[in-house]
Amino acid sequence: MTGSWVPVALSSDLPSGTVLPARIPAGPLALWRSQSGRVAASADRCPHRGMSLSHGFVRGETLSCIYHGWSYGQAGNCLRIPAHPGLTPPEAIRTVTHPVAEADGVVWVAVGEPAATPPGLAGLVPLRSITAFVDIAAIEAAAGAKATAEGLLDAGDIRLLLSSTREGETLIHVLIAADAGPAERIAAARTAEALRRRAEDIQKKGAAQ
Amino acid sequence: MTVGPMFDEWYPVGIFGQLDAAGRKTMLMGEPIVVARDDNGDAKVTDGTGRSLPVCVRYGHVWTSLGDPKKKLFAIPEADQPGRRFVDVGVVRVRCSPLRAVENFLDIAHFPFVHTDILGAEPHTEVQAYKVEIREDVDEVWATQVEFYQPQAAKSASGGITTQYMYRVAGPTSTVLYKTCPPRPSEWDVITLFVQPLAEDLCDVWPWMALFDDDTPMTDLIHFQQTIFLQDRSILENQVPRLLPLDPGMEMPTRADLTSVAYRRWLKRHNFTYGAQLVAQ
Amino acid sequence: MMKLYDYILSPSCYKVRLMAALTGTTLDLRAVDFHPGLEHRGPELLALNPAGSIPILEDGDVLLTESSAMLVYLAAKAAPDWLAGSDAKEAARVQQWLSFSGRLTSSLGGARLHEMLLRPGDIGALQSSGIAALRELELGLVEQAERGQKFLAADRPTVADIACFPYVALAPDGGVSLDPYPAIRLWSRRLRSLPGFIEMPGIHRLHELKPEPQLEKSET
Repeated sequence: MTGSWVPVALSSDLPSGTVLPARIPAGPLALWRSQSGRVAASADRCPHRGMSLSHGFVRGETLSCIYHGWSYGQAGNCLRIPAHPGLTPPEAIRTVTHPVAEADGVVWVAVGEPAATPPGLAGLVPLRSITAFVDIAAIEAAAGAKATAEGLLDAGDIRLLLSSTREGETLIHVLIAADAGPAERIAAARTAEALRRRAEDIQKKGAAQ
Repeated sequence: MTVGPMFDEWYPVGIFGQLDAAGRKTMLMGEPIVVARDDNGDAKVTDGTGRSLPVCVRYGHVWTSLGDPKKKLFAIPEADQPGRRFVDVGVVRVRCSPLRAVENFLDIAHFPFVHTDILGAEPHTEVQAYKVEIREDVDEVWATQVEFYQPQAAKSASGGITTQYMYRVAGPTSTVLYKTCPPRPSEWDVITLFVQPLAEDLCDVWPWMALFDDDTPMTDLIHFQQTIFLQDRSILENQVPRLLPLDPGMEMPTRADLTSVAYRRWLKRHNFTYGAQLVAQ
Repeated sequence: MMKLYDYILSPSCYKVRLMAALTGTTLDLRAVDFHPGLEHRGPELLALNPAGSIPILEDGDVLLTESSAMLVYLAAKAAPDWLAGSDAKEAARVQQWLSFSGRLTSSLGGARLHEMLLRPGDIGALQSSGIAALRELELGLVEQAERGQKFLAADRPTVADIACFPYVALAPDGGVSLDPYPAIRLWSRRLRSLPGFIEMPGIHRLHELKPEPQLEKSET
């Protein structure tokens, strides 16, 4: 195995017909779900004039750039250039795409050549995603526990799936038992905020030393 | 980074009518400068060491240069034409290359998506062929015979019309647009974008207009243009890379982008590369 | 007709225009040269509002200078559904977010004026208090979703949503990214999809709400 699956977003945060910004080590992504429900991950840059595609819009089965409306398919090929309605866009116009898998309510993007399927979540379901302006080490310090190679961290009162998005920034997916009720889920959502506060304090103090 | 030949060009650094003795502290290509009025009420620009810089007051704005301008500031003859109203739209700061700000201004294909229901609307997205040239006598980029369907082309327009345009790059960060003038079909409205490069990836933009429009209140004219530019701003702050790529492999133009292609070629020819990315990274 | 002293780039003025559009209320807009003219600090407007802020709403003998009050006024006159119902929790939540919206104005709004129109301010402090406010809003929306409610105070949009939406949606104008807030993204999309929704500069049209329009052959 020479790669890994990066948990970039929760399935519930990406309804049909929407696009959102995400991040893997190779850089920013436009993660989008077509009207029929298919998820795709494209480099977050329109090859035409460099506009971020995550600011764009999804119509039917295509992702369009907000700047000039250039549309792209799942495979990253340009399908339409509105300034030239009669033109079939040349093959050379395409965005870089990455393989995507959806499992356990999480959208995963393949980096390199990972295992056939993303790691499991030990019977848990995702609750929400939050971003912390810290490295994973600060979250581990705040939680008093180490994350597994897959990024799973058991902090006792809360369980997390961690993904480093860039230096000094970590995406935290909060996990919870599938049968937890609303009160328990709201409590977990707040516990995650408290953990983030502690982790950001730790990182700040570390930086000050 | 050395500034190169752009060092000797003119740049807008403030609205003359709004200057006071206290002055405006600002930047020009990384250098701190102060733009103020002297005891005679004339504009005065000094750099960080107190050295006086060349000054010219024109088109509502104070212009200066860190170097030694080889030419006078470009001419806009319409600025002296009786009956026009001159509109100082005011400064807007944008976190982008000054060259990207100019290039966006030269583009019409984004109208339906960014200036929706004002300067363009689907399904009227097609850009018809137009003419682009570098006019050697004046050393300017010109695009002529540009046409686009617009739902509301100007504050004085009611309803959709096919608008005619001419675009002109008069300096590396100064561009002028001539556009159908609804109340006076024989004349052109003049709309400019004067860009002050603060850094390679940061600029202050000073739109200015010379219009035939006796009816629309001045504030409405200002707000129309601010609306348009603020719609562009959120695009400009999200282009990657922030600098304008001059490497032809980095971005893919089509026929609709011929003005931008000529602008990039003209920048390269003059080594006007402050705010440009030369090699793909 | 109600008269709004308005600036097209002001998120607070936009709240009132948006509320009017969503409730089918027609406003008489009086454009104020806020930038570059600083007209809001001139004698005519100071006579109406000594605080020197806009929007200002005039309707007969009613003169309002706080945007939250204007939202309540418009809703009460034209669409009471946008106000809190009689449920104590709902009423409190509406009030909570109306008050909270003031923090969005001072933090994200301050950062935006600094970054865009060069107004003075401590940009680092403005941005970090803006991020703190966005995190609270995000958590509020997550909790609402757990209660089965799609908007800030109820399962229907209220004045609370309109009070918070503009400064949040325009946070990137002040250099504050909205990327880390999935619940805010979904909420914002819900608001932008409402019938009658209008944009302001910096908030683009949701082009996906219309199918790809086809040019009629006769039009070409």
